[in-house]
Amino acid sequence: MGYKTVLKANLKRHRGALFGVWILLFFTCAALGVALSVWANAGSYINSEIERAGFGDLTAWVSGLPDTNSLSEEISRIPEVSQVETQELFFSDYTVEEQESDSEGQLIRYHAEENRYRFFSEDLQGYEEPPAAVFAGEIYVSPSMVSMMGLSVGDEIRFPIARAGRDKVFTVAGFYEDPFMGSFMIGMKGFLIGGEDFLEIRQVVQSSGIDALAREGAMLHIFAARSNALSAAELNQVINEHTALSSCAEFIHSESAIAGFMLILQNAFGVLLLAFVLVLLFVVMIVLGYSIRTGIETDYVNMGILKTTGFTGGDLQRLQLAQYLISIVGGMIFGLGASLPLSRVVSSMTLTTTGIRVPVSLPPPGWSALFFGAVFAWMILFILAKTRPVQEIAPMKAIRGEAGGDGTGKIQRTPIVPGYLHLSIALRQLMSGKRRYAGACMVAVLLVFITSMIGRMDNWLGPDGKGMMDAFNPADHDIGVQMFGESSIEEAEEMIRRYSGITDDYLLAMPNVAVDGMDYTANVITEPERFHILEGRTCLGEDEIVLTEFVAANLGVQIGDSVTVTGDSGSGEYIVSGIYSCANGMGDNAGMSREGYLKIGQDAPQLWCHHYFLEDTTQKAAVISALEDTYGGDIHIHENTWPGLFGIISAMRALMIVLYVMTAGFILVVTALTGSRLLAAEQRDMGIYKALGFTNRSLRLSFSLRFAMIALPGSVIGLILAAFLTDPIVSAAMKLAGISNFASSPSMVSVLLPVLTVTLLFTGFAFLTAGRLKKTDVTILISE
Amino acid sequence: MKEILLKGTNICKSFQENGAEPRILQSVNVEIYKGDFTIIMGASGAGKSTLLYALSGMDSITDGEILYKGQPLNRLSENRKAALRAREFGFVFQQTHLVSNLTLFENVAVAGYMTKTAGPKEVRQRARELLKLMHVENAKDRLPSQVSGGEAQRAAIARAMIGDPGLIFADEPTGALNKSNSEEVLNLLSRLHENGQSILMVTHDAKAAVRGNRILYLEDGQILDELTLPAFREEDARAREDKISVWLSSLQW
Repeated sequence: MGYKTVLKANLKRHRGALFGVWILLFFTCAALGVALSVWANAGSYINSEIERAGFGDLTAWVSGLPDTNSLSEEISRIPEVSQVETQELFFSDYTVEEQESDSEGQLIRYHAEENRYRFFSEDLQGYEEPPAAVFAGEIYVSPSMVSMMGLSVGDEIRFPIARAGRDKVFTVAGFYEDPFMGSFMIGMKGFLIGGEDFLEIRQVVQSSGIDALAREGAMLHIFAARSNALSAAELNQVINEHTALSSCAEFIHSESAIAGFMLILQNAFGVLLLAFVLVLLFVVMIVLGYSIRTGIETDYVNMGILKTTGFTGGDLQRLQLAQYLISIVGGMIFGLGASLPLSRVVSSMTLTTTGIRVPVSLPPPGWSALFFGAVFAWMILFILAKTRPVQEIAPMKAIRGEAGGDGTGKIQRTPIVPGYLHLSIALRQLMSGKRRYAGACMVAVLLVFITSMIGRMDNWLGPDGKGMMDAFNPADHDIGVQMFGESSIEEAEEMIRRYSGITDDYLLAMPNVAVDGMDYTANVITEPERFHILEGRTCLGEDEIVLTEFVAANLGVQIGDSVTVTGDSGSGEYIVSGIYSCANGMGDNAGMSREGYLKIGQDAPQLWCHHYFLEDTTQKAAVISALEDTYGGDIHIHENTWPGLFGIISAMRALMIVLYVMTAGFILVVTALTGSRLLAAEQRDMGIYKALGFTNRSLRLSFSLRFAMIALPGSVIGLILAAFLTDPIVSAAMKLAGISNFASSPSMVSVLLPVLTVTLLFTGFAFLTAGRLKKTDVTILISE
Repeated sequence: MKEILLKGTNICKSFQENGAEPRILQSVNVEIYKGDFTIIMGASGAGKSTLLYALSGMDSITDGEILYKGQPLNRLSENRKAALRAREFGFVFQQTHLVSNLTLFENVAVAGYMTKTAGPKEVRQRARELLKLMHVENAKDRLPSQVSGGEAQRAAIARAMIGDPGLIFADEPTGALNKSNSEEVLNLLSRLHENGQSILMVTHDAKAAVRGNRILYLEDGQILDELTLPAFREEDARAREDKISVWLSSLQW
């Protein structure tokens, strides 16, 4: 009973500090819950939907085949394959209100009876029954088209099926969930159309002959035999050896690679949020440690008295543990509960970028038990360690107040300068209570570290996404031009020069090759020195090749090893001269020189894309517009960007805002907690200063100056840490998305913004916290 | 005719306490004269310290008016009150109340800097002189926690003196000191008074009260009576103490 009474009294006495700890745990666990929920639920949902929708272990996109069925049957006959399912489609470029897509779209014939896809309601808030059929002129698109091209229901999409203006225009009837190509991270996009339109397009393509722009093709979903223990890459190798798939495949991806593409954003979001949660946990420990220490100091005499009434040191420690655990468990439970609606918000917000609605539920029990259990166990150990001194309390010594204070016997005598009296006194108070302020300093270090890290990532990305594009593109350029009709590339160049000089140019082709039997895209370039080389050297010789580190790891080869490369006209041995960076296709690609490729591949003018560097890059839009107006469907132009890039930049900006808001919330709680304890500890000194003629305002200013003085060096340390640790930490996360050349650099956003924000927030919140000085009469301040 | 330094008219002070509002000061009318060593006496809970802090403007009043050299103290802005505390008033408390992380010298000098009436150099010089006058020059570089209670209180008096205040408020300045330290502090205050310093001191100790030339007796928040004495002389101390005791007895204290 006595134990309960004291606990209740302690809870009441320290309610401010305990509420602060509750809030910190609430924020941290809400963020942890969201990270786990998004990460786990998105992963399991994508995998279950890919399986439910009947996509194979391998999917091959083929075109140019007179009869797809015979290839399907040929593949089915391989013992390692159990079955092959076919989805008919047409590859075609498309435009939405003058916006031309960078990648081809796939017009897929919709069969209601297959029940492959789920359809969203018009407001994207839920699902609706799949349509029995897609009507003529109507089309269903992925919600990611909203962020990529600003599409909404009722908008028109134009597909150039053949030259001479034989376009097919569709009206968006609704949105469907495409677990295969729905994410904005994937350039190729699937569009569901009805059988009537599909047959009409086939008729136009067939009657247009060489003037056809759309190509008929199919998706072959290849299912491995259950008895087969081959990996997807090995299965691909076996199929290539026994069938003609490699000669007609546009690209082949495994189920796991597709799931990886679909989950890039969710995984990146989850990793960054988990990193932030880790930082927040450190902040919680700092604040909790400070709170426990000052709480013990405040209760020291009471503890001595309780000991005289029969409480043991263990009892007192258990009381401390109980009071903090009540607050911690409350914060954790409410935080976990809040993660549910927050996950719903995240799921809704990301629907138009990921293309899927991540199911909203609490993280899986196993994950929750693991992560939240670890947090809880760590908190218990931490509290036990921090409250150990209460076991040593000697009753009479405590009652006499002989110990338990902050031991300010040794004081740093900083100068008192008359002209800078407030600053001098702030510095003296700060140096006298170093330990009290150390927590705030550490919090500043951690918060600036994480915000600066995100700032550096944002700087790497750049305002136009250059960092990301450099990571995905094999070589830099301003615009790429590919001619298809009778017009020559020289005419196009002449037109470009009317707007801007061309400072440099080179050619790039992206044919498919098989490296040691596995299909990859080859980046074939006329100037191999333009490749972004990470290790070794570029492929200058015609018997050399460069690989991404992912391909090198998949093939188990390193620099100096030989690989067999097969193209559409033969094969040959090539030496791996270096490792290069290109995140295209999650890094599933290789780089070759033109001379090297032509030993095994056929040359054709349409194969090559001319990449130009412009003297005046501000003319880029004008150049593109002029070329499109002049050559229409006979030209394909692309920039050093892709439609989903701006979605990523927006997501990055949104993440930064979320982090800054959470940072501000944390600083507010930390300042309020430490500030109120400091004010309580220093109220006698404050009263004396008031009696000497200091005004409330000057005392508040002096108090907030101390936080500024502690936050500023903390911020600078955080900044230095971010400078050294951002690249290794973020590189590890970026490798999940196939990006291996992350190298950040400082910018205004990554240097000044976090330091200024954190310092000013600490200063401002300290000034607000010290507002209570105004309400208190000097006599009350100095009475003891 | 003595010059009125501080004048309180109908001063009332009450505190909100569990719904009730007990009145600590009940329409107190008082005048404090320049050059006087005025003592406020009374039993515990009579409202002595409350009256002292109300008269100094450190504590708010519920009703009434306080004029310092004709200025209405309770209607001054926070900044004006702070300036008055820095330049016109000096405070000596029962607990020494020196800033714990400043040395004795710094405690005195900071109060001097706040007056803004002299340059830093002069303030430092005056602080050194005052600490010497209070016999604590050897401890000037020590922190309050490193000196005796008497030394700390003498430094507190030096701090109160640094701005040449018009009036020193002393709240039981010897209450926490032993006999010899108390004696020394009272001697210092007497010496200051001899030199023309106006002092208003609260005490319940007749031995301390003998230093004053005017004694106000407070009971239940009201001034019941006052006693005027000639200037203090050491040799008259015993006789003054007896006189005060008789006077207090007549007031049933």
